Amino acid sequence: MDVAAQNKPTRIKTALKMMINPGEVVKQQMGKVPWPFSLSVSGLAFCLFFLQTGLDMFRANQISMTMVFIISGIGIVYGTLGVVLIASLAWGLSQGSQSSHSLGWTISSFALGYSATFVYALTGLVFSLALGWKTAVAFGITGVLWALRPNIFTIRAISGDRTAFSIALATLCGAILLFGWALLGRFGL
Amino acid sequence: MKTQLGYKNPALGSSGSFLPIYMCFTVFGILIGFNKAEFKIISLLMSVAISLVIGLLMVRILLLILNSGNPALKKETGNQFARESVSQGMIFVVPFTVLAVLAQVVLGWDTVMAFVSAAVMTAAASAGTEAMKRGARGIKNVILPSLLAFVVSTGWMLIVGLLP
Repeated sequence: MDVAAQNKPTRIKTALKMMINPGEVVKQQMGKVPWPFSLSVSGLAFCLFFLQTGLDMFRANQISMTMVFIISGIGIVYGTLGVVLIASLAWGLSQGSQSSHSLGWTISSFALGYSATFVYALTGLVFSLALGWKTAVAFGITGVLWALRPNIFTIRAISGDRTAFSIALATLCGAILLFGWALLGRFGL
Repeated sequence: MKTQLGYKNPALGSSGSFLPIYMCFTVFGILIGFNKAEFKIISLLMSVAISLVIGLLMVRILLLILNSGNPALKKETGNQFARESVSQGMIFVVPFTVLAVLAQVVLGWDTVMAFVSAAVMTAAASAGTEAMKRGARGIKNVILPSLLAFVVSTGWMLIVGLLP
């Protein structure tokens, strides 16, 4: 059987498991997940989140449809480059260079943590398109909040199992992402 | 010298204290009280009281679920495994509380219930996972707390809608 075909369900299964039992995934399975896959999950998650934001603004006659697609593109950058920067910040503050986990592992683990965000964003998009609901806040923000738990486990792994520190740093990372999204909204992007 | 912030060994740091959790639920109650279209002191007081009761009930029911589902472990550890699991798991409400405060105070968002739902669901699932790390057997230790969290967050939303 083709190796790539064998690996695909495993990666998707790992991404879904990251939502339910992130501790086990971070401890045992993250090493097997390639970073491009992880970053594609977070990139898509934020792309769909920003798409919903754009659709909500479009329905309120605040922006054009072209702008909706531009915003979605910004979401991809936010979910890839943004997550890379956030994960790098977390790795640096956690003194990750002294742990057994590399910066690449940290970025991959952080990014895969947004698998819940992707699921929520996809669900929200379905409701938005099918029923015309404004879903960016209800589904998008909830999805980003669900990523806090996997991020806490990732930070715990790179910081030497420091729970209180992990909670504080994950809160900071979550705040940066949420408020970054809010600031983009204020600038009409 | 490497500076260590926070405790490294969860067992040392966990005294089974639920005070931070109750404080977070109280903060949620305050935020909900200020979220109403028209501020009323009676709404604020009711919201705080209800939130605290929900927090207390949730902790007690989680302890009941974990203890009754794992009688052998309960006997072996003298109730301690359930207390540690719930206190370690439910500490996950803290980041959601902080973000909810920042969102409402700094950004003026009217989204506290989104933070409440995510907090309650995440904390309950974490409590179940912590129990399994401590030797509890069966997926029921995650499913039942998650079901409880779903009922709690839905019920809380309905109650908030009924506040004056």
